[in-house]
Amino acid sequence: MSEITLDGLEKRYGETTAVEDVSVEIEDGELLCLLGPSGSGKSTTLRMIAGLETPTNGSIAIGDEDVTDLPAYERTTSTVFQDWALFPHMTVLENVAFGLKMGGVSKDERRDRAREMLERVQMAAHADEDPTTLSGGQKQRVALARSLAVNPDVLLLDEPLSNLDKRLREDMQIELREIHEDLEKTFVHVTHDQDEAFTLADRIGIMNDGELIQVGDPDEVYERPENRFIEGFLGDTNFVDASVTAATADGVRVDTELDAELVVTAADGTTPDLETGTDLTLSLRPEILSIHGVDEERADDAGVRDARVAADGGTRNAVTGTVENVVYRGSTVRYSVSVGNSSMFAERTDASTGALSAGDDVRLEWDGDDVLAFRDDGDRVMP
Amino acid sequence: MTGANSQTLPTALASLQERLVGESASRRALLLMAPLIAFELLVFVIPFATLLRISVAAPSSEAVYAEGTWSLEAYSEVFGDLLAGDLLLGIVGYSFLIGTVVTVLTVVIALFYAYAIRRSSGLVKSLLLFSVVLPLLTTLVIRTYAFTPLLSPTGTINELLLSAGLLSEPIQFVPNTVGAVVGQVYIVLPYAVLAIYSVLATMDWDVVEAARDLGASRPRAVVEVVLPQAMPGIIVASVISFAWSVGAYAAPGLLSDDLTFAIYVEQLILGDLRYPTAAALSVVTMGLMLAGIGIIFAVLDRFGGEFDLA
Repeated sequence: MSEITLDGLEKRYGETTAVEDVSVEIEDGELLCLLGPSGSGKSTTLRMIAGLETPTNGSIAIGDEDVTDLPAYERTTSTVFQDWALFPHMTVLENVAFGLKMGGVSKDERRDRAREMLERVQMAAHADEDPTTLSGGQKQRVALARSLAVNPDVLLLDEPLSNLDKRLREDMQIELREIHEDLEKTFVHVTHDQDEAFTLADRIGIMNDGELIQVGDPDEVYERPENRFIEGFLGDTNFVDASVTAATADGVRVDTELDAELVVTAADGTTPDLETGTDLTLSLRPEILSIHGVDEERADDAGVRDARVAADGGTRNAVTGTVENVVYRGSTVRYSVSVGNSSMFAERTDASTGALSAGDDVRLEWDGDDVLAFRDDGDRVMP
Repeated sequence: MTGANSQTLPTALASLQERLVGESASRRALLLMAPLIAFELLVFVIPFATLLRISVAAPSSEAVYAEGTWSLEAYSEVFGDLLAGDLLLGIVGYSFLIGTVVTVLTVVIALFYAYAIRRSSGLVKSLLLFSVVLPLLTTLVIRTYAFTPLLSPTGTINELLLSAGLLSEPIQFVPNTVGAVVGQVYIVLPYAVLAIYSVLATMDWDVVEAARDLGASRPRAVVEVVLPQAMPGIIVASVISFAWSVGAYAAPGLLSDDLTFAIYVEQLILGDLRYPTAAALSVVTMGLMLAGIGIIFAVLDRFGGEFDLA
């Protein structure tokens, strides 16, 4: 078994705290992505699991063994580094065989096993080449083969795809996913790219300022982020400042900087007890907003036409504004809309309902229970 | 500036470039290298040719050598002395012994020193680097002589060892081979440290972590990953130390009573006025030194390192 238990892990460099009180249980065979902006402590956490950094406090266990004080070379982990760190004075094959050499495997056997690994990552043809002459994608494959050759219990990946171009990165993500499914080993993958995390991860751990703020399934962290930071970090959204005017069983009525009173409802009908005047931040993702020109006639308009300013018992919200600019983004068109004193953006996938252009008056609509609300301190209160 | 021929620097350069652009690539390269070639001719080729010429001139009792004559007398004398054993074992052998011992000591110390600089940071790094360069700012004679009070029978080292009870009577480090070796190591160490450090400085340290991650202990990682990559610097440091120390003059002269080849050549020239013999001995020693350097290359190259002679 090679589940990893981090307990109260902390790393300080003098006055600065790089990692603070990180505790998580990584399951055997799981692929966990540590996701966060640069400087959030995710790489330091990974390096502590690898044994390349010594924790200031806390403990690390792999399986039943406490490895906190075990040096890197005695751990059953293997790391793929961000810049791959291939040995420039060895051939590709020697690179892959290095860990086996350190493990005391005989020359013939390690040659065979290294070759096997290179075949697995489709690099066998380059076995005798100088690694410095390889392309980024090829280096990445060699680094992966080198790490897998020692048959580690845990594979640690420190942003190994971040130096690749987008297309190659996406291909490698799929490939990594397949390798993970194939090997059934525990993978911990560090990245700052949320698309990568969503593509790869069984679970995602979000880090910020040295803290692990949420660990959960990809849909869980995306749809139910525990705080405002996560909501902002995982994709684009419109944050709207709001102030509670009334909290009823039907939902929370808020006054907003959009010059409109809105209703936020919880899908399960539970409304938190919020005092009047409580400041909130609402998050309106572009995908929950629908945008129409006010002159556009639509069949389903009738019911919501007059729903501006809080729905009558329903949950539909609407505001009107003016298109400021239009950005064509291939599969979608993005509109910046000025609403009240604020500005929001919305997207729609095609322009077939009539192109909107700058200066057009539009109406933005959304369901009250698609909105997330966060308190002053960043914690999510709704839904 | 007056005068019709005066040109500003930019226009002079422009006209020079115009002329160069017209030439073929190889001719252009040759033209651009011309100052360097002229310098080499002046400071190396011509003096060395003169040395070779003197070595094959006949000795003379009236002048330092008989000008215009051709003779292999000096070489037969040198080879005769070498084969007889006195010169070979006494002087040339001693020079190569010092050269070898100094080179081994220097490279080992320089490796640790350069590694320490590479691994340090901030003020410590600056201090370590500065302390390498600092000795170069003082004159060689002073800093070599400074070893006399340190190493003499009544000097600091002996007193420390005596008072610590490690010695019952003082050791004569100077004038002695020990003094000569210590002094010579001190002279060449800065160059060796800088040669190795310059290679380590550009080395990507992630590979050391990768080695540790793949099961190499710290010392093993250094042997497997750092040393092979530092090899170009080690080779340069070895060649500098060896060539300089075999031909050492100042440290053995000031700190030892034994004759090295360089001091012997000085005696031949200034004392005995036997220029052809001195020149022939120099040529022969140079041949031996080249062979020695060839061996250094061959040995170190076997330990990996991507050192291309070409």
